Amino acid sequence: MSITFLRYFARQAMANIFNNRLVHLIGVGTMAIAFLIFDAFVLIFLNLNYWTEERGKLLTMSIYFKAEPERIVLEDIKKELLGFPGVTIKGFISKDDAMESLRRQLGDKAGLLDGLRENPLPASLEIVLSRDKSGDSTPYQLKRRLEGIDIVDEVQYSQEWIKRFEAFMEAIKIVGIVVGGLLFLAALFIIINTIKLTIYSRKDEIEILKLVGATNRFVKIPFLIEGSIQGFLGGSVALLMLFLAYIVVMSRVDLRIGFASLDIIFLPTHFILFLLLMSIIIGFIGSTISLGRFFRI
Amino acid sequence: MIQLFHVYKSFGSKNPALIDVSLTVKKGEFVFITGPSGAGKTTLLKIIFCAEKVTSGQALVNGRNLNRIKDRELAFLRRRVGVVFQDFKLLPRRNVFENVALALEIAGLPFSMIRKKVHQTLRYLGLANKEGYYPPQLSGGEQQRVAVARAIINNPLILLADEPTGNLDPDLTMEIMALLRQIHIRGTTVIVATHSQELLRDTRRRIVTLSKGRIV
Repeated sequence: MSITFLRYFARQAMANIFNNRLVHLIGVGTMAIAFLIFDAFVLIFLNLNYWTEERGKLLTMSIYFKAEPERIVLEDIKKELLGFPGVTIKGFISKDDAMESLRRQLGDKAGLLDGLRENPLPASLEIVLSRDKSGDSTPYQLKRRLEGIDIVDEVQYSQEWIKRFEAFMEAIKIVGIVVGGLLFLAALFIIINTIKLTIYSRKDEIEILKLVGATNRFVKIPFLIEGSIQGFLGGSVALLMLFLAYIVVMSRVDLRIGFASLDIIFLPTHFILFLLLMSIIIGFIGSTISLGRFFRI
Repeated sequence: MIQLFHVYKSFGSKNPALIDVSLTVKKGEFVFITGPSGAGKTTLLKIIFCAEKVTSGQALVNGRNLNRIKDRELAFLRRRVGVVFQDFKLLPRRNVFENVALALEIAGLPFSMIRKKVHQTLRYLGLANKEGYYPPQLSGGEQQRVAVARAIINNPLILLADEPTGNLDPDLTMEIMALLRQIHIRGTTVIVATHSQELLRDTRRRIVTLSKGRIV
């Protein structure tokens, strides 16, 4: 492609955007809304994924003792547990602590416990297992090892919960792909029609260019550049609006719910770059599809 | 240069726009196509510059069969056929220089050559001081001269003019016709479609008359 062509295409694309700024502005605005819906979905999906994965990484295990263990025995067990990768000790709950906790949970009805002659609740040791470090088989090995110790009555961890959690994550991913795909198609449909309006407003120009001997490629390239620029601008505006909405939501969430443990993350840089690239590609594809009908003669 | 053999053209179920039209225009000829409105003059020109395809029959321009021409070849053929329209068909948001340069930009000429050729052509047509103007700022005659400049800047083999003086007063009409004669003298085949009997009076050029789609 010669310098003359490149110079022509770049100049025409910029001049066309400037000359048709109102139509372009409407186009960018429409695209921004379409992209915003898609970007917001990506952000929600990303956070859900992040949040559930973070929670899933940590597994709580309760070791119940037959009787209150002696301090030295307890220390030995703790030492052995810390030898397993990814294990941290959350705390020891004595029989009295367990009873106190139950009383607190029962509140007004705590009096029911007064009739007990002895404390039936077992002492327990709570540990947290990081699945990232421990690997999938460690909980089973740990459970088997602990149940082999004389004073250990029972070891519980929520195996069922893990399976449900994993199934939930799979479902989330499938739903994410389907909903994301539909939103993507909806955005593409809106954008194609927006670009069609831009092109339709200049059908006379296309006709004249063709009459003076322009090849289809020559006519199309400035429109494709314009579509890509429109996509980039629409995508940038959408991300900016999403970021502003994120800041507003974050400030309100902290105030109203105080959800300290639930971090809401914004899109990471590589996601932002990906979404911007996708906006440009959608603008380009939208222009290509929209131009199709003007090149039948 | 142009050969039409038993050309029919119809748009849907209405009366055909052209019926069994056979016509040969030799290289370097100056031909008037005349007839009342709706006789098929514009359709005939549109077939020659490939804005319409024939329904049946054969049309050849510069040896190319227009029935079988591909998109890319079509674009190159159109660069050898200059067209002037009654409504000028100028791009209103491009100035005179840009409108005329368009045909050369399409051909991919370097900018220095484009500038030189556009200046020469605008000077030749008396538009040297108008190159920064936009079409809506020009008179009808000036706009038509810009359209002629765009049509001839590529040194076309054929110049087609569809009612080129239809929107112009008598003085400007004579001016544009004089211009077309000059272009013809330089060796270009010129075909002018007009319903104006004024233009045909005293002419020694060949006149082809169309009536209801047929040559009479």
